[in-house]
Amino acid sequence: MDVVVSGLAAVGVGLDSVADLLAGTPGGGRPATGGAGPDTTPDGGAPDGTARPADPTRRLSGRGMRYKDRATKLALLAGRDALTDAGLLADDLLTVPGESVGVVVSTNYGNVDTVCEAVATIAEHTYLGTSPMALPATSSNVTASWLAITHGLRGANLTLCNGATSGLDAVFWAGLLIRSGRIRAALVVGVEPVNDPVRYVVGGGDPAARPRLLDGAAAVVLESADAVRERGGTPRAALGPYARRAEPAAAVAAVRAVESRPVGLWYPPGPAPVPNTGAIPHAGDGPATPDGPVCAGVRPDEGAPAARVDDLTRRFGECSGALGVLQCAAGAAWLADHPTEAVLATAGTGDRGGEDAAAALILTPAGTP
Amino acid sequence: MTRPGADPGVLISGAGAVASTGAESGEIYRALCAGRSGLAPLRGFDPSRFRATHAYEIDDRPAPGVDEPMRATRWLLEAVAAALRDAGLDEDLGDIPVLVGTTLRELRSVELSWRDRTPVDPRHLHFGAALRRRFGAVDTHTVANACAASLYTLALGVELLAAGRADTVVVAGTDTITESTYGMLDRCYPEAPDRVRPFDRNRRGMLQGEGAAAVVLRREQAGYTGPVLARLRGVAVNCDAYHPSAPDAKSIALVIREAHRRAGVGPAEVDLVMLHGTGTPLNDEAEAEAIRDVFGSHAGTPLMTAIKSMLGHTAGASGLHSLLTAAHALRAGRVPPTLGITDPIDEIADFRLVRDTAVASGDALRVAQVDSFGFGGLNAVAVLEKVA
Repeated sequence: MDVVVSGLAAVGVGLDSVADLLAGTPGGGRPATGGAGPDTTPDGGAPDGTARPADPTRRLSGRGMRYKDRATKLALLAGRDALTDAGLLADDLLTVPGESVGVVVSTNYGNVDTVCEAVATIAEHTYLGTSPMALPATSSNVTASWLAITHGLRGANLTLCNGATSGLDAVFWAGLLIRSGRIRAALVVGVEPVNDPVRYVVGGGDPAARPRLLDGAAAVVLESADAVRERGGTPRAALGPYARRAEPAAAVAAVRAVESRPVGLWYPPGPAPVPNTGAIPHAGDGPATPDGPVCAGVRPDEGAPAARVDDLTRRFGECSGALGVLQCAAGAAWLADHPTEAVLATAGTGDRGGEDAAAALILTPAGTP
Repeated sequence: MTRPGADPGVLISGAGAVASTGAESGEIYRALCAGRSGLAPLRGFDPSRFRATHAYEIDDRPAPGVDEPMRATRWLLEAVAAALRDAGLDEDLGDIPVLVGTTLRELRSVELSWRDRTPVDPRHLHFGAALRRRFGAVDTHTVANACAASLYTLALGVELLAAGRADTVVVAGTDTITESTYGMLDRCYPEAPDRVRPFDRNRRGMLQGEGAAAVVLRREQAGYTGPVLARLRGVAVNCDAYHPSAPDAKSIALVIREAHRRAGVGPAEVDLVMLHGTGTPLNDEAEAEAIRDVFGSHAGTPLMTAIKSMLGHTAGASGLHSLLTAAHALRAGRVPPTLGITDPIDEIADFRLVRDTAVASGDALRVAQVDSFGFGGLNAVAVLEKVA
């Protein structure tokens, strides 16, 4: 069964839409509507001290928002936009049976704020200082739960908290659940919030750490190709193979063994130097050009131009569990204008980058087998 | 590729478990049959901060009242190693997938770091790094699916086998208690629970437990002669999409029906139900109502029990703790009791709930249903079959 991407969204501080994800892509550029740019401070503000970009969660209002954590708010924004983009929401109501739609969330730091604030409150004021309304957010699945409740999505509901590869892992699991027939569609959201506890944890327990982090979410709707066709939706990209291995090179080799068409755009795991073992191009300091880094694993075609390389973390900061979903949203949008190429998404640096593994996933143009 | 209906044949070929009452799957089962509870006064938290005084903790801290990070990871590694030994596999996992269900990951380590300003490694929030170091495993997935997590991941494991992505999958669950959850539960209940009393009229709520569990799944293939603990007939999962913490009986009934359908069994064929049974007013009523709805006139047929009365709510591990208890019970023909029921709620009046002491059922037990539900309206139900 073919699984396709049928809806896309991205939202965050300095990230207004999927177009912003493409704005820095070599050869894929569309006009930016916002974008934090490569030179923002950790807060997302410009280095010259101009105002921090607008916080998109201000768009949310109502008493239901009071006890929702930041990750959940960001995910609700991206989730609604992606479902709407897919044509699965009309007047805010789901247009397909709720039990056929699942949710897969990827986040590593989503509920770290709730847990840290609670333990500090208990130390100072005993358990009486806590609010029972925050209880669900002590469990790391709280965001997936609110996405399901908000849109009536009663299919399988997963939360992947799987480190650097988590976003690509989430996309894989959504695809597997669709292929297995358990669900027909899945809302996949990758989200990471920024707040003091998250900065502290990402900084390894340094209260003064100011790591540059994405404060946002990306979402893709995956569906069986049949389901999209039946309801007259628009497939944007087809979901290709996925692998999780010890090293990026091994993960790329595994997916390329299954899907070998030319890779036009490569999303590397991040700015950390990825050893060029001969199977993937080195990220280098900037985008690859026809004269730039090439590698046999990604670009086996003699004489063909090199894959464009777009490190999303260069523009948006460390994206952690959101990265793979950002890459898939951006890649699916890019494929609309590149109908003969493939997108290679990679996350996690594996052994040599000090992470437990690396994942690779390929997207291909919609409508091609 | 689509399989409308039945799950494929899957064998449970090895098991490992750690809990407050034992450090091995068989030992925990025997303790349950003996009616031994892991309930004890709080060991790792400052008791002056809470109204509740007890939990079902593992007694492995460096000193009384002194907590340490990374305990959930330690138990996970112990449970996985034991499951591999039991299945006759060596510890070098490589590409064999390891799926870990958890509610709270290593958030207790984060709490200790934030409160006491000790270092924390963000790469240790999930379990991949530890599984890599110990077992060389690279295809590892930490699934934070609340208290339904380990049975939810069991369904994912079944799908990996069904899709032909693996012949062997390790599925595990692990959880320690966080102060944030313990404190907010304490804040929620009108009275502090003194113990977990599922289905008793005087139940006051849930108390957390600690532990881990792991199983090795293998796709059933002709010619396999290795160890087999039980056959996994099917696992169903869904989501209420109703409330962040309160359960929905209708949705639970749906997931039980789907588990039966995937397993190819009807209510009359179910001999044992491992109840989720948290001892909260809402869970116990919703679960009883759902079972009554699905089982109809057969509601009084299967034996039923709820092991949280002795292990506490082991959260992400609880589904597999129940599943392993079922597997042992099918083999040994002996069902452990539910403790603490002196005045059962009306909703279970005609259920054959095993109370006070274990019941020997001999060869009558062939098919077991295992319930596991969690925050966020997450529901997972598995069906196991005795292997002759």
